[in-house]
Amino acid sequence: MSEVTVDVQDVRKSFFLSHSGSASLKTMLLWWRARANIERLDVLNGVSFKVGRGECVSLVGKNGAGKSTLLALVARVYKPTSGAVVTTGRVAPLLELGAGFHPDLSGIENVIFNSMMLGLTRKQARERADEIVEFSEIGSHIDAPVRTYSSGMQARLGFAVATHVDADVLIVDEVLAVGDIAFERKCYDFIEKFKAAGGSILFVSHSMPAVERFSDRVVWLSNGNIAAHGTAAEVIPQYQSAMFQP
Amino acid sequence: MLSELKELWKFRELLWAMVERELRIRYKNSFLGFFWSLVNPLATVLVITVVFKYFLQNNTDNYSAYVLAAYLPFIFFQICLMDSAQSVLGALPIIKKVYFPREILPLASVIANFIHFLLAFVVYFAYLFVLWAVTGFESSPFTWKIGFLPVLLLVNFALATGVAFLVSAYNVFYEDVKYVVGVALYLMFFLTPIMYFSETVYYALRARGLDWAYYAYHLNPVATLTTAYRKTLVPTGQIEVQPGPGEAPVKMFMLDFNWGLFWITVAISFLFLVVGYAVFNKLKWRFVERP
Repeated sequence: MSEVTVDVQDVRKSFFLSHSGSASLKTMLLWWRARANIERLDVLNGVSFKVGRGECVSLVGKNGAGKSTLLALVARVYKPTSGAVVTTGRVAPLLELGAGFHPDLSGIENVIFNSMMLGLTRKQARERADEIVEFSEIGSHIDAPVRTYSSGMQARLGFAVATHVDADVLIVDEVLAVGDIAFERKCYDFIEKFKAAGGSILFVSHSMPAVERFSDRVVWLSNGNIAAHGTAAEVIPQYQSAMFQP
Repeated sequence: MLSELKELWKFRELLWAMVERELRIRYKNSFLGFFWSLVNPLATVLVITVVFKYFLQNNTDNYSAYVLAAYLPFIFFQICLMDSAQSVLGALPIIKKVYFPREILPLASVIANFIHFLLAFVVYFAYLFVLWAVTGFESSPFTWKIGFLPVLLLVNFALATGVAFLVSAYNVFYEDVKYVVGVALYLMFFLTPIMYFSETVYYALRARGLDWAYYAYHLNPVATLTTAYRKTLVPTGQIEVQPGPGEAPVKMFMLDFNWGLFWITVAISFLFLVVGYAVFNKLKWRFVERP
């Protein structure tokens, strides 16, 4: 494998769940009673894999298998309970619908702010803004507040930002399904170009055709463990037959 | 803590962008914009002045200037804490997706409010100037003492930031925090020399043999700071206080600035800053995992 950009080393992640609902001072004061209500949930139990430059690795698995947790660990949102995630270069998560956009600010204000949040300097963000707007095909609406945008427009703008911040690793978590066919195609073209230019992609999708199309390798997660790891042609049939078994 | 500060420095442009965003959002859909943040202090000061000067018949010179000089720092502190309490909690959807130093969130709230605070001082000096032109102080409203203002602002900023770190971090886990802060600030308004003077407190407690309580009262750093703002900003004039129970009010000059109390306040403020930042850093990785 060529140069490694994402190295996931024996990562474990546990969460503590409280059944009493939201946190409050009451739960703290009644900690000896509340403690019984706190349950440990092991989401990932020792997962290791690598993503190289110019490579796309897809994560597949049932809901709750730990895919999104794994992506969040790569994006440095969580700290692993044990193990390590080592990334090289800039990691850009593709934000899901609307997250990170302020509804009262205009499209362009949000573009600049979001690209800075993903690591660009103000100068770079300003230079890149025109290109981002053009890619998103929002046109003259870009000066209107984002609350007036349709969900498709918001998704397009979000995708346009994440793809123009010179990321080395792109994290794509099932967000492409909102655009129309033409935009979906544009995104897929971009992903191929991005890979060809040496970018790495971590991809989560329940759409097997999309997974087959882009992935160099597929990691099948099941209950926080890797059930299978290999090329799409090897893993997907196994995964699908397991899914349809009672 | 040093590595955390280094990381924060790397993200300084994002911090400014977030401050700018806060300022923009606040008045985005209002016609009068920044003016609204002045309506509250000016209206409050007007009401307090009418009540004390005419109902309670306090005969202090330039009473409204004293109230304004104390109320502006108080309201900065108040809005800072109310805003920063929600700063992390409100940003949970985004911090679940993107990494950036989390301390940027409360810091942006504090800095945005600090900028408002500075702008309010421009209005304060304009007010002082009008008062001077209309009623005529003995001395000019602008004295060399104003040079001390930056020091006060720095201490005030450190205190507000430190408490904001604590409030914003704990409010993620226990939303009761913002209600506690709301009640505490409401009570603090009465326990801070805004409507009255620290001299009022001094004589009231001394007459009852409770000299120590005067110092305990000033362990509240906001109380010491508001008095310091007054002594820095309001030109010399006589205030009216009651020297003891049952005695007639007398007019007098303010007591000399108590440097001992001031240094204690400086120490408390920076202690809040350091402890607040340490606590915030300890908790920040758990924000996205709150039970």
